[in-house]
Amino acid sequence: MDNAIRIADLTKDFGTIRALDSLNLSVESGEILGLIGPNGAGKTTALRIISALLLPTSGNVEVFGLNVVEKAAEVRKIISYLPEEAGAYRNLSGWEYLNFMAKFRTDSKDEIQRIVNDAAEISGLGERLKDKAKTYSKGMKRRLLVARALMTKPRLAILDEPGSGLDVLHAYHVREIIKKYVKDYGVTVLLSSHNMLEVEHLCGRVALLNKGKTVAEGKPHELKEKFDSANLEEVFAKVVGLA
Amino acid sequence: MLKGFGNILVKELKELIRDPKILLGMIIVPLIMFPILGAVMNFSVQSAQEQAQKATILIMNNDGGNWSQDFITTINSSMRVFISNYTNPQDVVNQDELSECNTTQLIEIPPDFSANMTQHVSGNENITALVKIYSVFSSAGVFEGIGSSMIDVFIDGFNRQLAPNMVREEKSSIIKGQIEEGVDPAQLSALMISQAIAMPITIMILLTYSMQIAATSVAMEKEEKTLETLLTLPVDRFSILMGKLSGSIVVAGVAAIAYMIGFNYYMGSFTSAIPAGTNLDLVSLGLVPSLFGYLLLGISLFVALLSALAMAVVLSAFAEDVRSAQSLVSYVYPFLFIPSFILMYVDINALPLAVKVALYAIPYSHPIIASRAVTMGDYWTAVWGIVYVSIFTLVIMYVASRLFATEKVLTAKLKFRGLRKRGKKAAQDLE
Repeated sequence: MDNAIRIADLTKDFGTIRALDSLNLSVESGEILGLIGPNGAGKTTALRIISALLLPTSGNVEVFGLNVVEKAAEVRKIISYLPEEAGAYRNLSGWEYLNFMAKFRTDSKDEIQRIVNDAAEISGLGERLKDKAKTYSKGMKRRLLVARALMTKPRLAILDEPGSGLDVLHAYHVREIIKKYVKDYGVTVLLSSHNMLEVEHLCGRVALLNKGKTVAEGKPHELKEKFDSANLEEVFAKVVGLA
Repeated sequence: MLKGFGNILVKELKELIRDPKILLGMIIVPLIMFPILGAVMNFSVQSAQEQAQKATILIMNNDGGNWSQDFITTINSSMRVFISNYTNPQDVVNQDELSECNTTQLIEIPPDFSANMTQHVSGNENITALVKIYSVFSSAGVFEGIGSSMIDVFIDGFNRQLAPNMVREEKSSIIKGQIEEGVDPAQLSALMISQAIAMPITIMILLTYSMQIAATSVAMEKEEKTLETLLTLPVDRFSILMGKLSGSIVVAGVAAIAYMIGFNYYMGSFTSAIPAGTNLDLVSLGLVPSLFGYLLLGISLFVALLSALAMAVVLSAFAEDVRSAQSLVSYVYPFLFIPSFILMYVDINALPLAVKVALYAIPYSHPIIASRAVTMGDYWTAVWGIVYVSIFTLVIMYVASRLFATEKVLTAKLKFRGLRKRGKKAAQDLE
């Protein structure tokens, strides 16, 4: 399979703080890779660099063969990024927000309508899409944002804590939608999460980051076997404890 | 009742006072700004008084009799007097003799002055002697009427020495090189000053609103966590910047129009009280800008607005939230308020050189300077102002576009602590 993401020796410094330290990672096209790690491990920084938001201090990052520094504009055309703490415009309705976002992807009115209809289905917000975003609960806002991230069927969806703030039912719904988009539309997904259940159910492969480095990588069952653990939580605790 | 009030109050005060942005923006800046403003105004008043004391006057004596000589001698005892060789006041103006004598006041003594004085002292009190006073009107300002007021005082003193109402005066204005008979410069100045106040206030409020809107627009994206998403979309960063600036301009423009309508109505309530027939039609006197003047004023205002908005965007890029952005933008307010307050009352040409240079250096002064300049037909001042502000704006726009084009728009933060702490905080925030 082709590489959707190829990260080589990626280092990122913020002043004297090293957030990423020679990180190496690759994500294959059409797979769901979960990034897990303790707070401050560098997950969000890595996702932001892949999304062409931050510049690497050194190293190389390619998305479908496009260098994220040199071809940032091209990269933005094929990715969709969902930040962990993303919000929606308070005074726009859900419909208006989705329309606004869809217009950056296409000029065709029919296509925009189709994209927004897909998003409406993903979000499951129904009639509430007509209300302003400031009236939404945290969970409703998150569903709107997940819908925004997937509605255009991007080649690469970068999802930072997609299930954050969602109740069990809606978290399950979002996971099913992500799986559907990967299976039906060939979307590649790179996600980060603190929810090990979510990662185990969703991800074909997992990369465990600690102190800006990949400290373990593999399929969930491989990692469980390797670290003689019953679940990913145990793997996480053992790996981070050992690191 | 009010249990815990004191505790909350102390906490609030600690939080607010310990915020360096609030301390600087709301306490230190006003403490510096108003004394500066007061010092400039005080200096201007002193300069005007000194100028008035050293006043010179040009007299055109068309009479030649003894009384006119006495009149001139008496004036000469308190003012420096030049005698014109011309007999027609318009010739004096056309030949620029007033500038040569460094004065703005011309007194014409008509041919029948001495004859009328003689008749008056002979007991025919109905006959009085007339002197005509012509004052150059340059622009509205609190010191505009000082020259003619000095002559009023002098004539009043002259009458008191001889006989009440013996000499009467007829005032005219010299506007843009033309004598406007019967137009009292003091009345004209009083009328124009309402406009002189309206324009700086309108510009000050327009720029303040716009900066607040632009800063809030960027900071809101950060506070509501929408900026990150926006920056990953397939859209040119410059388009995002221009979209934000344009949105702010439109909203600020609507606010400015609403404000100007309201303010014009308010000022109109004063000018409508001027009795009819006082010959103060500003349009016929040429004291309203021409179409070209309005065009220049519009361009001047637009570039200043763009410059203020770009500055607000740059500053708000360093803010973490709306409150920080508004505090940061408030540091620019003295540069809006000081020129507005000074130029509201004083013509820039009446100011000391250092103050004049400082005001010209502030880009937000230029629409106010232009508004006066175009009224007086001085288009070059407006044009140079536009060129200067445009260059300044381009520099700020470049900085703003660089901030938007790089990760700085997400990571830049103004901190009042050490660099080490700044680095740590930025890294923590990003995780």
